[in-house]
Order: sequence, then C-alpha cells, then structure tokens
Amino acid sequence: MKKLFDLRFVIGIFFLAIGLLLLIHSLIATTTVGFNANVNLYSSLAFIVFAVIMLILSRGKRPKDIL
Amino acid sequence: MHIGLGGIDYSIIGIYFLFVIGIGFLLKKKIKTGNDFLMSNRSIPLWITSLAFISANLGAQEVLGMAANGAKYGWYTAHFYWLGAAFAMVFLGIFMMPFYYGSKARSVPEYLKLRFDEKTRSFNALTFAVMTIFSSGISLYALAMLMQTILGWDFNFSIWCAAGIVLVYTFLGGLTSAVYNEVLQFFLIVLGIAPLVFIGFHQAGGLEGILHNVDNAKLHLWKGMGSASTNPMGTDAFSMIFGLGFVLAFGYWCTDFLVVQRAMISHNLNDARRTPIIAALPKIFMPLIVILPGIIILALQKQFAGFELPLNANGQTDYNMTLPLLLSKLYPSGILGVGITALIASFMSGMAGNVTAFNTVFTFDIYQSHIKKNASEKHYLYVGKFTTIAGILLSVITAYVARGFNSIMDLLQLVFSFVNAPLFATFFLGMFWKKTTSNGAFWGLLTGTGSAALTYGLTTAEGKGGMIANLHTFYSGTSQAFNIAWISFLVCFLVTAIISLFTKRKEDAQLVGLVYSLTPRIKDENRVWYKNPLWLGILVLAITLIFNIIFY
Repeated sequence: MKKLFDLRFVIGIFFLAIGLLLLIHSLIATTTVGFNANVNLYSSLAFIVFAVIMLILSRGKRPKDIL
Repeated sequence: MHIGLGGIDYSIIGIYFLFVIGIGFLLKKKIKTGNDFLMSNRSIPLWITSLAFISANLGAQEVLGMAANGAKYGWYTAHFYWLGAAFAMVFLGIFMMPFYYGSKARSVPEYLKLRFDEKTRSFNALTFAVMTIFSSGISLYALAMLMQTILGWDFNFSIWCAAGIVLVYTFLGGLTSAVYNEVLQFFLIVLGIAPLVFIGFHQAGGLEGILHNVDNAKLHLWKGMGSASTNPMGTDAFSMIFGLGFVLAFGYWCTDFLVVQRAMISHNLNDARRTPIIAALPKIFMPLIVILPGIIILALQKQFAGFELPLNANGQTDYNMTLPLLLSKLYPSGILGVGITALIASFMSGMAGNVTAFNTVFTFDIYQSHIKKNASEKHYLYVGKFTTIAGILLSVITAYVARGFNSIMDLLQLVFSFVNAPLFATFFLGMFWKKTTSNGAFWGLLTGTGSAALTYGLTTAEGKGGMIANLHTFYSGTSQAFNIAWISFLVCFLVTAIISLFTKRKEDAQLVGLVYSLTPRIKDENRVWYKNPLWLGILVLAITLIFNIIFY
C-alpha cells in the first residue's frame, strides 16, 4: 500500500498497462496504415521499457521521494 | 475533419481517467488540514515539483497552440522557449525564489502584502482569481470544441465529463493530487506525441525533406528580425527581446502564482530554487515535441495530398488543427488513443492547475484576509474544498459564455498581458529597490494595467483592438501583445518609482527577507554542481545560447 504513494510506482503501472494493451493490440490487430504499420509495436515496447525504469526507480528506499 | 476511434483507443482513454481519479482517492487520506489541501504541506519531492512546474504550463494553449504557431510562424515560435522561458526560469530560481520561499508567504499575493500592504495584495488576488477562472474556462471550452470537431463528441458531455473528473481529483486530493496528475500528464503528453514527431519527420523526408520543402524564412530564429516586415512573426527584434524576452517572460514565469506555487511546495529552499531551473532543462527541449509538428506538416503538405489544414468559421486557415490532423493521418488505432489521451491530459492539466491556484488565492488572500481571519485549519480545509467546487462551476459557466463569444480567446491573451506585465515591474522594484513604497506599488499596478487597456484601445492588429481610435496598426496580434506588454511594464515601473520618491516607505527592519539588499546572501559554494542553483542555471543558459546560435 505504501508503494502507491510513490508516484514513480503509479506512473510505472500506468505505462505498463498502456504498453501491454498496445502490444497485444499490435500483435492481434491488422494495421492498415502502411507506413505506420509497426508504430503500435514500437511504441508499446518504448512504454514498457519506460514503465520498467520507473518501477525499478521506485524500489529505491528514499523516504524523501514518497509522500 | 473527423477521427474515428476504435475500442482500443477508448480503453486507453478509460484507463487514463481511472488513474487520475484513483490518484485523487489515494491521496484523500493524506489531506487533513487546509495547509495539506492548498499547500501540500511543503512536502513534495524536487523531481515532482520540477515536472509539475512545466506541466502546469503544458496546457492546451501550449500543446495545440505551439504546433499551430509552428505551422504559422515556423521555427520563430521557439522564441517562446529559448527567449521567453529559459532566462526567466533561471532568474526566478536564483534571485526571486529566496524571497517567495524564505518569506514564508503562502502565495504570490501574500508576498505583496508582506512587502507592501493589504490593498496591493487584494488587487493582485482579485485580478489573478479572475484570470485563472477565465483561463480554466477557456481550457474547458477548447477541449469540448476539439472533441466535438474531431471526435464528434457532444459539447455538453465533453464539458461536464472533463469538469467532473478534474473536480473529483482536485476535491479529494487538493494541490498534491493536481501536482501528481500533472507529472503523469507530462509523461503522457511527451510519450504520446513523440512517436508522432518521429514518424512525421521520417515521412517528411527527414531533415533534408524539411529543408527542401519548407520556406527557408520559417526555418530560422533571428534571421529577418531587423524589421517587423521581414519575418513571418511580424515582430522586430526590440519588441521580441524587450516585450517577450523580458516583460512577458519574466512577468509570467516569475510572478504568476500558477507556476510559482509548484516551486513553493518544495521540501526546502534549495529545492524550491532548483525547481524552476531543473524544469527549464526539459522546457528548452519542448520545441521538438510541440513546435516541430507544425514544421513537419508544412513539409508534408508539399509532398502528399490530404495534409491541407481546414478553414475556420471566418474562412481563414485553422492552424489549431495542425496536431489533430497529424494524429488522424499518421497514427493508427491504438497509439491514436494515446495521442488523443495526451491532448485531453493537456486540457485537464491546464484546468486543474488554474483551479488549484484559484482556491489557494481565494482561501488565503481573499477569504482569510477579508472575511474570517482566525479560523481553524479544518475550517480553511472546508473553504478550500468549497472554493474548488465553485472554481469548477465558474469554469463551466465561462466555457459556455466562451461558446457565445468567439473573440473571448483573444480577450484571454489580453488579460494575461494586462495582469502579468505590470505585475513584474511591481515585483522587480519591490524586491530590488528598498525605497519602493506601498502606495507606489498600488498606483503603479493600477496605471500599468490601465495603460495596457489604453494601448489596446488605440492600436489594431489582424482586425482586433482600436476601440477608441486606430493610431497604429501592428503586423500581427503577437506583435501587438509584445508591445502592450512592454508599454504597461514601463508605465507601471515609472509610476511606481516616481510615487515612491514622494511617499513614506517601510522601515528597513520590516523588509529583511523581502528585499534583496537587506537579505543575507545564500552561500552555495560547498554544494556539488547539480545541487547548486547557480551552476545549474549556467548550464541551462549555455544550452539555450547554443540553440540560439545553431538555429540563427
């Protein structure tokens, strides 16, 4: 519960959810816009990487960063 | 123009709404006093205050407006960042924040009370409260109009839905909730629009494609600034440097409580000083996210069909559609949901920032100072919460009023130059000249604001202004705003200085901690460079200078 007051954790979870949703969508849906066919896939991977970084940062025990 | 959203896009918008409301509910249990609700008990970490500092400014005008200006004026728009933000943010951190934070003032108007008197504070509190409600209402109106135009959503539904969500999270978690959501919104806006810039840049043929297809006059920063007639912005170097770079920039970044409040809730003075300077680092890179799309669309228009901007009701090119058009043409369903959510986030961020600044100023500077002085913390908590509801409702009313008067957007811009420009003169003299008196400050503010109105009434630009007479016509509305700003600043400065020479000033002992010459200097020598506001400021200015040279 204490983790939820760390904004880095909340942001990490948010982008993880969005990233996974986009990843699944890019794997199962057919994108019709030719040039941008892989934009969902690449964006989802970028979001997941960003989310993981935020979650790792939130593991550090720095009470100053937690409300 | 209409964008069709799929189930995945609506799911992303839904997740975003769930998170912002969830943050409000989560923080609710931390809010026990008026101070918690309105000032976050000065407990927010540096990285959050820094990102909230720029996010509070990353509203609809920034995200949609700067892309629009990029298409209209080209790279000259970057002046709003490299001239109109970086220097002022560094100045705020190094020179002004010690007075705001060190004086223990809870708001910018309260600093004016400590430095001058109650009437100067009340004047500023009232004009600021009106300005924030206008700004918040316009943000709401613009959101509803955009959603109606590009998504076909009902105007009333968009207004009440957005207002309801902002109300829930600001009512429950107060300023902390608004600030936390601003940080989430910052990342969402940057990560949601960055892929658009990347694929747009690629599709336009990269740098070579842009250089080949965009008018060279729109790819510079200073070229042609010798005269207002030789650059796309219609502004000469003097009004650009003095009007935007000095008066408007310093007036906004150094005195507007909406942004200053984000630094004032830091842990300690050093964090408060570093907040605007650290915020300036991402700020100077923001043109890549918010202005570059405007340049990219110009290159795409030359190479592909379908990138022409629609016309507005007056038959003129609607530059505000730059970003929505790029989203609809370059984003497939999925990432499109992220892009649309980023736009919604920018509107909500702007609205929540204004509402939280409004409730603080109303509670501390109007209610506590004029209506009920010595009530309990619990009492001010309820007043703050009630003011939040009132602020949201007033914003909704303003949004509906804006629907009936299409010139209200211009009025808002005008209100900014009327309020912030003379206010900076008051602060500049008040903080750095100990002989500035309370009467000088009050009458200077009043005449400065009056001179802004008079200048607007005597000049025109793009068919606006000149209600009294038309003594001069400016090349563009931007140029008119810059000129109004420096004139009102100068009038306020001179009137304040002259009246101060003939009226009684406060004793030196009363001004310690409020005036530069009477306050002991802060020594930062022993700190490592990244903890030293001065070194950080020099780094920001060095990067800004390099950008100005590269894009000359």
